[in-house]
Amino acid sequence: MGLGAYIAVSAALFALGIVAILVRRNVLYVLMGIEMILNAANINFVAFNRFNHAEGSQSNLDGRMFAIFVIILAAAEAAVALAIVLNVFHLFNSVKPAEADLLRE
Amino acid sequence: MSNPYLEGLASIAPEIVLTVTALAALVFDLVVKGRESVRVGYLSLAGLAATAWFLFGQWGVESHMAYGMVSVDQFGNFFKLFTVAALAVVVLYVMHDRRERTSGVGEYYFLLLGAAIGIFFMVSTNNLLLMVLGFELLSLSSYSLAGFHKGNRKSAEASMKYVIFGGLSTGIMVYGISLLYGLTGTIDLSLMATSPNLVAQVGSNPIPFGIATVLILAGFAYKISLAPFHFWTPDVYEGAPTPVTTFLAVASKAAGFGALLRFLAALFLGQGATALGGYGERVALMLGLLAAITMTLGNFAALRQSSLKRMLAYSSIAHAGYVVVGIACMTREGFSAAMYYLAAYYFMNLGAFGFLVYFEGVTGSDTIDSLKGMGFKAPLISIIMVAFLVSLTGLPPTVGFYGKYLLFVEGVDEGLLWLVMIAALNSVVSLFYYLRVAKALFLEKPAEQDAAPAPVLTGFVTVLGLATVGFGLYVAPLESWATRSLDLIRGVAGS
Repeated sequence: MGLGAYIAVSAALFALGIVAILVRRNVLYVLMGIEMILNAANINFVAFNRFNHAEGSQSNLDGRMFAIFVIILAAAEAAVALAIVLNVFHLFNSVKPAEADLLRE
Repeated sequence: MSNPYLEGLASIAPEIVLTVTALAALVFDLVVKGRESVRVGYLSLAGLAATAWFLFGQWGVESHMAYGMVSVDQFGNFFKLFTVAALAVVVLYVMHDRRERTSGVGEYYFLLLGAAIGIFFMVSTNNLLLMVLGFELLSLSSYSLAGFHKGNRKSAEASMKYVIFGGLSTGIMVYGISLLYGLTGTIDLSLMATSPNLVAQVGSNPIPFGIATVLILAGFAYKISLAPFHFWTPDVYEGAPTPVTTFLAVASKAAGFGALLRFLAALFLGQGATALGGYGERVALMLGLLAAITMTLGNFAALRQSSLKRMLAYSSIAHAGYVVVGIACMTREGFSAAMYYLAAYYFMNLGAFGFLVYFEGVTGSDTIDSLKGMGFKAPLISIIMVAFLVSLTGLPPTVGFYGKYLLFVEGVDEGLLWLVMIAALNSVVSLFYYLRVAKALFLEKPAEQDAAPAPVLTGFVTVLGLATVGFGLYVAPLESWATRSLDLIRGVAGS
């Protein structure tokens, strides 16, 4: 399988993530969309690392390192985001951003 | 010191001091508990002073890298000192905000210091991985800070909107970085511009590079609230506690600009400038268009606001537009004008928010109507506020005027006359809503309500006011600082 296949999958995942964020009314699906975008980037990092440094240069692991850090980053972000969503749920009894609308002009 | 590891430690001493301070603040908060948490504030101030001392120790040190990731240079130093100075003011506001004091929790300081650590790494690295980590450390702390008052519905809503927009923009930026990594085979900005892969690619088909650049710029645009990524700004600024809003409007925004300038300088102003052909110009044109949209949107929306806090939010969007005029020049002079304007923005915006902190404590409201006639009850701070408003509009003799002057001159020099015209017209529009505040303060009947004095806060805002006027009359020090800081970014950008 060539590099093109990996890029196609990651691009599809990225597009799906964006669609999930734009279409879904529930904040939990929005957070899932964000995770999908980050994982699309991870596929890219690992694939590019594998194909760009194929010949002998095993020492360059930048892309794979980046992917590992992005996984950590996504976990941290999910923890903070879920705490915030939980707090919003306690106060508004809803997890739909459209129903929390105190801040208007 | 021959040990390279120890030498590296000396290079990142300010970051280490800041980290230790943050952890100490967290532990100290557990020890003192509850209402004594003002003491944690003093600890934070002491830590910030120590950090500033180490930063001054690095003043004029030759640009070099620590651990192959952190670049120690005058450019990073500019933004770090800016952050420390802004954070010290924010900590003082937290300590003297009547509303914050009653809730009195010390994690506030820990989160603020954590955000500052993020900023430090974000503005002083050419390595995109470290930049993203700094960016995210800043973002995560900011999300928590925006929702700091857990029982407050506005605060909760603000933090939710912030985390959704922030997560989306970070995701888009990381995806853009992954594409750029694929094109260049490196995550080091200073190697990217000269990467043979990239040069060949841009020569044959520039579209992938264009997509990657636009996606990465989206992440920065969110941090500096540049249209069309500004939607979160008014809601978050209004819902967050006022000292946090101050932090977001000044320190967080400047950090976004710092990282953006470094990114653009490495790709389009360094050695790669010729290799990347006319690409820098196209990016500059795009930034110019976004700047025009941003300031027009910000200023016209600010006209309709009844809340001073929300009005300042829109005004900060407009000011991001002005700064981007300098960046759109894509020259070193333009970049240093942008940095000068950020320094000007520091004084006038921190001052205006200090006024807001004071009056929220007095009247319990952030509407412009509630300020009616208060100018006679608290004359000193109100007169100083008028100086900030004049500076925000960009009239002499203030620091805001000279900042705009530098930006406009550079814009005209680079043939961006249309953009400068739009910015100048926008300044006229902004006069209307800034003057509305001054009118409410002084041209109404004196208010019934008495304003309890807050000597420390008033004194502090006065200092900022004097600086706003003083640096407007005597421009040399700030300007030479901004220019010299930029000289040294190039050493690291590989030229």
